[in-house]
Amino acid sequence: MRKKITFLVILLILCIFAGILLGSVPLSPISVLRCLVGFDKESTTYILVNTVRLPRVAGACLAGMGLAASGVILQSIMNNSLASPNTIGVNSGAGFAVMLTLMLGGSYTSAVPASAFMGALITTLVIFGLAYMADSSRTTIILAGITVSSFLNAGINTIKLLDTDITVNLTTFMIGSLSGITLDRLKFPAVAIIVALLLSFSLTKPLNVLGLGDDIARSLGLNVTSIRLILLVLSSVLSGCVVSYAGLLSFVGLIVPHICRRLFGNDARYLLPCSVLLGACFVLLCDIVGRVLFAPFELPAGVLLSFIGGPFFLYLLFIKKGGRRVNA
Amino acid sequence: MLEFCHADVNCSLVPILYDISVVFQTGEITTVIGPNGCGKTTLLQCLNGSSKVTSGSIRLDDMDYLAMPLKERARRLSFLPQVRTIIPALPVRTLVEHGRFPHLGFTRRKSQKDIAIVEKAMNFAHVSPYAAQYADTLSGGIRQRAFFAMSLAQDCDYIVLDEPTTYLDLNGQREFMEMIIQLKKQGKTIILVLHDLGQALRISDTLVIMQDRKIAATATPKECLQQHIIEDVFDIRIKEFSDDEGSYYFFY
Repeated sequence: MRKKITFLVILLILCIFAGILLGSVPLSPISVLRCLVGFDKESTTYILVNTVRLPRVAGACLAGMGLAASGVILQSIMNNSLASPNTIGVNSGAGFAVMLTLMLGGSYTSAVPASAFMGALITTLVIFGLAYMADSSRTTIILAGITVSSFLNAGINTIKLLDTDITVNLTTFMIGSLSGITLDRLKFPAVAIIVALLLSFSLTKPLNVLGLGDDIARSLGLNVTSIRLILLVLSSVLSGCVVSYAGLLSFVGLIVPHICRRLFGNDARYLLPCSVLLGACFVLLCDIVGRVLFAPFELPAGVLLSFIGGPFFLYLLFIKKGGRRVNA
Repeated sequence: MLEFCHADVNCSLVPILYDISVVFQTGEITTVIGPNGCGKTTLLQCLNGSSKVTSGSIRLDDMDYLAMPLKERARRLSFLPQVRTIIPALPVRTLVEHGRFPHLGFTRRKSQKDIAIVEKAMNFAHVSPYAAQYADTLSGGIRQRAFFAMSLAQDCDYIVLDEPTTYLDLNGQREFMEMIIQLKKQGKTIILVLHDLGQALRISDTLVIMQDRKIAATATPKECLQQHIIEDVFDIRIKEFSDDEGSYYFFY
């Protein structure tokens, strides 16, 4: 397991370097290194690295980490392997809140991330309320989530159509994109995501115990209700903050945890860190490919996530035998 | 001693049991029996909070059990619930290690002692050969023993098991009963729910008989038979056969 984690860390570092070097204007490693250690402060490379590439790479990393972690957490607390920030409508809730805030003239730096978090939290609570009240089956919850999410997407579209002043490109927002990230917009969500990630790393044991089902978790002395509420808030912070700057990146929250379940097993102590690392690599990679493939034109990261992630996931599902079994 | 004092119990906000008073003696095997739907599971679920005590109290060794922190409860009393909707896709060893959860400190690191207790519990429940296998790939019987081992890894003086033999074949049931007797010899207090009346009569020191969501009787197996309590509650007849190895019961 240690080897696998080391491998993922190395992979992530490589992806980060690739993310800084590659793009519509390729940079040479040496000039980038000189800029990173503080030389050549007037060069175009310096400006490009610090104002464009670094925020973008950081944004991609955190987006992948946040969504993957949020997916793992949601799957555990709902005991439902189909749960993810997308499938239960949390991302759409955050997206709707973002649009609403922009319509009301909120600022990108603080109001948008905060409202995205609130949107995510409220949506999660609604879905959870439905699940608990009706004692619904796993399928019902996912159906409810899809319904809520399409309802909120309709809301997003309506706001955008009614208020043409909003400076968001609807297509890229709905599919998720990392272009146009500035350090300013990233500051607040980045801190929140990192704090939430650290907190959720400290909760992997309870997460595991929760995975045994409520009855047994209670017998083992876990306060099921309060720990679930804490995790729910954490997952809302994670996905909400990502949506606030990257739009509705789908897929990461669902398939990265699943890929990791197959490769690393269901033990949250490994599953969570591995998902976080792989999620970051995955989004970074897709963003790089999107920038390079048709340069100077750009494909949003969300498009490539589906293009690359979809077939790979199908491969894991149907072709690769002997992988770890997944909780039904 | 575990004691329910005039407990009213709700399950999912629906009142199920009223004014239940019953005592489970230390160092004994006490079995709760009764027809389906009489409230056995609801009664025991009070112990992990899956059902709620709305009035009355539960006392464990003369302490207020319901006022204890949840982890403290789980260090004194291990309760293995009956229904398993979720079969975790985890290796058996990892599953059993979860039994140490209430004992772990804030850092949640396993000590040598924790590892030794897990090993012992797996050996005791005969699941050591399956330690590396995934719980969801195992047969129902082995899986049940793995959960049992998890419960043992909690290392509590009180062990409560709700229908532990349901998934076991005859040989598995016999082995299980031997384990229970061994645990009693180690000084554990054991509380069971069983549907097999023959097993219940053979193994128990005391029987708690429930009927229509009330405690119908608390008595030794012998008293139960002499006073025809089981026959009345379950509406059956019992024939007892004895040889030098013990008594056997036939129900019809």
